[in-house]
Formats: sequence, structure tokens, C-alpha cells
Amino acid sequence: MSDAQQPDDTTAHADHEGHDTEGPGYTTPQAAIEESEPEKIAYVMGLYVGTDVDAPDFLGVVDIDPDSETYTEIIDRVEMPNRGDELHHFGWNACSSSCHMDGLERRHLVIPGQRSSRIHVVDTKDRRNPELESVIEPEEVFEHDLSAPHTTHCIPDGQILISMLGDADGDLPGGFLALDENFEVDGRWEPPGEIEMNYDYWYQPRHNVMVSSEWAAPKTYYPGFDMDDVEAGNYGQRLHVWDWENKTVEQTIDLGEEGLIPLEVRFLHSPEATHGYVGAALSSNVFHFHDAGEEWRAEPVIDVEAREHDGWDMPVPGLVTDLLVSMDDRYLFFSNWLHGDVRMYDISDPANPRLADRIWAGGHFGDPAPVQDRELAGGPQMLQLSLDGERLYWTTSLFSSWDNQFYPEEAEQGSVMLKADVDPRNGSMSLDEEFLVDFGDLPDGPARAHEIRWPDGDCTSDVWQ
Amino acid sequence: MTSGSSAHDVILVWQDGQEGSDEREERLSVGEDEIVLTAAECAGVALPFGCRTGACATCTGKLLDGRIEHARPPRALKERHREAGYVLLCIAEPRSDCRIVVGSSVQAELVSNPWQ
Ligand code: FES
Repeated sequence: MSDAQQPDDTTAHADHEGHDTEGPGYTTPQAAIEESEPEKIAYVMGLYVGTDVDAPDFLGVVDIDPDSETYTEIIDRVEMPNRGDELHHFGWNACSSSCHMDGLERRHLVIPGQRSSRIHVVDTKDRRNPELESVIEPEEVFEHDLSAPHTTHCIPDGQILISMLGDADGDLPGGFLALDENFEVDGRWEPPGEIEMNYDYWYQPRHNVMVSSEWAAPKTYYPGFDMDDVEAGNYGQRLHVWDWENKTVEQTIDLGEEGLIPLEVRFLHSPEATHGYVGAALSSNVFHFHDAGEEWRAEPVIDVEAREHDGWDMPVPGLVTDLLVSMDDRYLFFSNWLHGDVRMYDISDPANPRLADRIWAGGHFGDPAPVQDRELAGGPQMLQLSLDGERLYWTTSLFSSWDNQFYPEEAEQGSVMLKADVDPRNGSMSLDEEFLVDFGDLPDGPARAHEIRWPDGDCTSDVWQ
Repeated sequence: MTSGSSAHDVILVWQDGQEGSDEREERLSVGEDEIVLTAAECAGVALPFGCRTGACATCTGKLLDGRIEHARPPRALKERHREAGYVLLCIAEPRSDCRIVVGSSVQAELVSNPWQ
């Protein structure tokens, strides 16, 4: 029987001893929904890497408080000290998984450079005016024979774990780098050689499990997407199920041809749940994975059909590049970056998602209707949802070299951040035409925009113990 | 072995992609054991880069004239790219006077949209 069908994690939480609300975050996903205020600030990665704009990437502070005079404006930018980073995914030093850690605050953002392997720590004590606190230089990372930092999660004891996609040369194998509470490199987290390829991961401590996915060697995906690499088997199609305490891979699941390039991994938020999803970008499927008792299983539960495009030679995949689960574990959202739609599925029965609604915005198939006269150069990509599940936001840049390949106009026009109003009761969404954050209009030139985070936790970073 | 101190004229050329459009050029003096990207930075000339280890191709240039040697294996380039004259400026050392097309548009030439 599916444990996700009884999402009563309030009671479940009570049997986790030693819990009080002294640490950061919320005691349960339900508490996050009920106790959180609507988000007022978004932290968004802004990028110049790979363009001729002579400026470093930055952390953008976006005002998303509808009552503010600077609503939808980028009110502050924290510039990184170097160019060439490709700031990509980032995370907090603490989340709800650390709620037993007295005195720890959700205050520092750990922001890796995907191309440079440089890791930045930003202090957000002043939410509207964060400051760069310290930098780990690439050489310190290469010392552990790792490069290309990707997903950053805090782990329950106050440490920070970062998935690393390559070795010091940008080749395989990747691994995991651990930082200590002082944001210094603690070393390699796992015994080297557990995996070859790496990408995203999510852990569920109550079940002593972590699931990681696979992109490719940095040297393969950095320059752009080449079909020859797919044919040569240079792209991933496996999930790795880890023993979280032992830091060892217990099971590897080959997703086969339908699971090419499995990217974002999302468990349901309930700490009791052993269900999750992963989006396979190239084959454009969403897989449901779960603990089937003796072993973990993964099955494709959503298949996005490739579509013919006028003037293109081959049917175009949707390219599922990001997905997330609402805090109440009721809905799954994902983006088809090449097609141009954002989809919403009811996952009350996790193994049988039911399409609830979708929105077209940009992409190669979407209605090219501009929002507020602004042309949309890319497709929907990184998603973030409000904790109450009523506002879905997204940006349009995937990765600078891949953007240049599939949306060359984005380099000249920059990204946008868009928003949809979600009605969780009726399972519907509508594009908010009043909302547009334009990354094309910045002093140094048009920028790409990537991952989005809220100061008080969000649907893609909070984990419960 | 050549003397490490000999320097070469390296001319960097930016093209904006349109036929017959204006080009911008910069001339640098680069030692035999100096990396082109570093020499450009010292001269205050901004070139795109990312990994600085030869893995990401963000710094790709196209050699029009002259000889380059890579200080490390250029892992981001495939054989077809190397044969076509592409070089990675973060690990490139000149072995003669050179003329190199630079700028982000050169990287974008390496891979095209496979569905189009
Ligand atoms: S900067 Fe990455 S290959 Fe040169």
C-alpha cells in the first residue's frame, strides 16, 4: 500500500524524538504550508558566462511582493569575484532537516560555479542585501579529484553535501564533496568509485536512503549537446540508490532507452514517503521510483511525445528539464523546455499521475504571444513553487552552451522569470500576465536566469528528518 | 626545445557573425610558455572562459594562421573540431605568430541543433 496515500506526517513526526522548533525550518511539511508567509523575495541565479559580456555571474534578489513598489524588479545583485563560473544550482546551509540543530540558522547560500568549480558562500542575514562571505577556489576542489559542482543540500548534522559531476580533469567519475559548518572543504563524502556519472540527488533520512541521477562527464555536456555522444553512450540513464549512512550504492537501476538523461530527483516531502520522481530529459519521460520491499523500482509514468516541427528534420522531444512536488505532495509540476509547456499532474496516487493542467509559454511550440510585449526567447525551465502551492514561478535558461544551441536569441534578449497562479483545489493554473522579471534589461547587458530559491525554504530544497 | 622567452604576435579577431560586417582586432605579445587566455587577461582583453582546464570549450577560438600547442589535452574538443582548427585558449600556447577568431560565437559553432 502506498504510504503517500496517508500523508499524515504530523503524527509521523511526533515519533522522531528530541524534536523542538529550535533549529531552522519547519517541523513538518504541513507546518511549512501553514506557518509560512507568502514569499516576498526570490534569490535567482543570473549568468554572463560564455557570452562576450565582460561581467561575472551574480545572485539576483528579485522583489516578488505584490504590495512593494519594486515588485518584479531585480533590487540587488551580488556579483561573484570572478567571471566564468556558470552559477547554476545552489542551496542553503540548513533546511528543515536540521530542525534539531539548536542555534543553526538558514542563512547562508552555497553557490557553486558549474564550469569554474568555484564555490561561493553568501550571507543573507539582510535578505534584501545579501553579501558574499567566502569563496572556495577551484584548486581546493580539484585536490579531491572532483569538479563541476551541481546540487547543494544541507545534511542533517550541519554539513553541506554537493554532487560533483566530474573528476579534476572534467572526466568521469564524479562523486560528492562535503563542506563543514564553517564552509570549508571537509573532503570526499563517499568512498571514490561508487558511481561513474552523477547529477542530482535527494535523500530521505528516515529511510536511510539517497537517490542520485546521471547527466554525463563535464567534458561531454559542457560544450553543448551532441547526438554522437548519445550514440556513444556518453549520457546517463541510471539511478543509484544509496545507503545514506554508509555512503555506498546499494542498487543501480538502469532506466533503459526510456530513461535517457535522468536529471532532477524529487522525493515526496513527507519524511515517511518512499516515493519519488525523476525526469528523463532526452527521452522526455517522468519516472516514478519507490521502495518495493526487497528492492527499489522505477517505472515511466508520464511520457511526453516528441513532436514534428515545421522546418526541423526530426521530431523534437519535450526535454523534461525540471520537476518539483508541491509541499502537500499532491501535485507534480514539470517543464518541457524545448516544447514550451509547464505541466501540472495530480499525484494523489503516486504511481498513476493524472494530468491536471498545463500552460504554454515560449518554447518551440508554444503560442509565441509575448508577455507584456516581451518576446520569450527560451522555454520554461527551472521551477519553484510557493510553500502554500498557489504560485508557480519559472525561468528560461538551461545551460549557457545548450541555450546557444537551442535558443540562440536568448543570448541577446536575456531570460525572463514568469509566474502562474495555481488553484490547488481545482487542479488548474493560469499565467499571470502582470508578472514579468526581465533579465534582459540589466546594466551589464542581458543575463540568463536559472534556479530560484526562497529565504524560508522551498519545494526543491527542504527535507525532513 | 625552443627558448621559453621568445614571444609571438597573437592577433585576436572578433566577428559578429554577419558576412562582411565589421571586425574588431587586438594584438597581443604572447610568450611561448604563456597561455593565450592569461596573456589576454593581463592585457585587459576580455575573452569568454569557464573551467580553465580544457574541459568546457567556453574559451574556444578558431586558428586562422599560425601554430598553437595545448599545454594539456584539449578534452572539450572532438577530433572533427581539432581538424577544423578549433583551439582552447585557456590551455593554448603559441608556437608562431597567430591569428585567432575569438568570442562566444566561436564556441556556439562547435555543436548545432541536432533536430533542425
Ligand atoms: S575555459 Fe574551459 S576549456 Fe577553456
